[in-house]
Amino acid sequence: MTLKECYASFGGDFDSVLLRLNREQLVEKFVYKFLDDKSFCLFTTSMENRDYDEALRAVHTLKGICQNLSFTKLYESSSVTTLALKENDYQKAAESIPQLSEDYHRIINAIKVYQGCGEG
Amino acid sequence: MEKQKILIVDDSEMNRALLIEILENQYDIEEAENGAAAIEILSRQRNEFSLVLLDIMMPEMDGLEVLSHINKYRWNERFAVIMISADDSPEKMQRAYKMGAFDYISRPFDSVIVRRRISNTMLLYERQHQLEETIAEQFREQEKNNKLMIAILSHIVEFRNGESGAHVLHVNTITELLLRQLILHTDRYSLSKSDISLISLASSLHDIGKIAISDEILNKPDRLTAEEFEIIKTHSAIGAEMLSELPAEQQDMPLLKTATEICRWHHERYDGRGYPDGLKEDEIPISAQAVSIADVYDALTSERCYKKAYTHNEAIKMIIEGQCGAFNPLLLQCLEEIADLLKNAQNHNGIKIKGEISS
Repeated sequence: MTLKECYASFGGDFDSVLLRLNREQLVEKFVYKFLDDKSFCLFTTSMENRDYDEALRAVHTLKGICQNLSFTKLYESSSVTTLALKENDYQKAAESIPQLSEDYHRIINAIKVYQGCGEG
Repeated sequence: MEKQKILIVDDSEMNRALLIEILENQYDIEEAENGAAAIEILSRQRNEFSLVLLDIMMPEMDGLEVLSHINKYRWNERFAVIMISADDSPEKMQRAYKMGAFDYISRPFDSVIVRRRISNTMLLYERQHQLEETIAEQFREQEKNNKLMIAILSHIVEFRNGESGAHVLHVNTITELLLRQLILHTDRYSLSKSDISLISLASSLHDIGKIAISDEILNKPDRLTAEEFEIIKTHSAIGAEMLSELPAEQQDMPLLKTATEICRWHHERYDGRGYPDGLKEDEIPISAQAVSIADVYDALTSERCYKKAYTHNEAIKMIIEGQCGAFNPLLLQCLEEIADLLKNAQNHNGIKIKGEISS
């Protein structure tokens, strides 16, 4: 699997990120780094604890990362959650979680598969 | 050449890492993971940085609070602040601009645009700094020339008076010391530091009227006759008249106004028995009052063709006891208070007083 195919599998825009960051190696480095990023985890814990300020910051950060890495699909779902939390619409935020979670895990899984290919 | 340094303030480790990746070849980078940490770093070592990249939404202290702190203490005179903005907060960016942000970079980061934007900003800041330096340098140069012109002029007068070359310099310095001491006691005369410098500079011209007095009288080694003394006394009014004949548009210049009042009234006495106008107490401008004491002190402690030099202690005693004129009691108190400074200065040939007060 190529990185471009990996991007395509989770609804990302590989051409755009490559154009901005210039080198495929660099894109790959940050895609791997995304596996260790804590913002999604922080978001879900904060939502469970009803710490909505922290949840907003976390999902906003996640959104920013998606923007930078052109994770288009997850960018869209994290935008919905961010907006809901900014408007203090906690119910809508909670309702957006399944989609957000699905998009997030699809990326994580795809990256792990890609990583496995590279190593194998 | 040493690399310029950038502080990246962002709570997302990934975002910081991405910016570092884009910038680390060209710049030294330091990171802060929230606003409070940024303030901590900047309060310690802000002079090292040429630029701060500042995220808006952060825990502890957000970007706008950081910006407000930077603005309050005018730290951004030294470095530029570029906001890292999410595309969905134009109103926050507008606030950031109002609070002194120089520019913003929005996500997603484009490596070429980020690099170019940052290097342009730094270049602009550096140029502005150089320009400010150049202007300040020119200003200092000009001021040096102004002082030099006045020094030349007063030296000519001194030369002819047969006074020691340092008299004008001493009067400058003593006047400045007296007035600085005076404003510690009262704000009655509303003197700013720059007023005091101006008076000190203008004091150089106090005796210019003497060029109209004949050599025979001016440099007569014997006691002057009453008639001759009357002629000498005209120098204060003559000096002021000479200045008043300068072109009308120059008459409003503070230096000329001050010099004129010093020329005319530096032989007035606090009790009203001086010349040429018999002004008393605070009818005499404070500039002339201060120069008057400075002039007397330095005349006493210098050797002249008609007298030997008194010691510092003798001179102070004679002035305080009223043997050499009548002065403002507050200025006499100031004279006593600066006596030690003057004494040390006298021991070191006078001229060094300047260094001691300009700390």
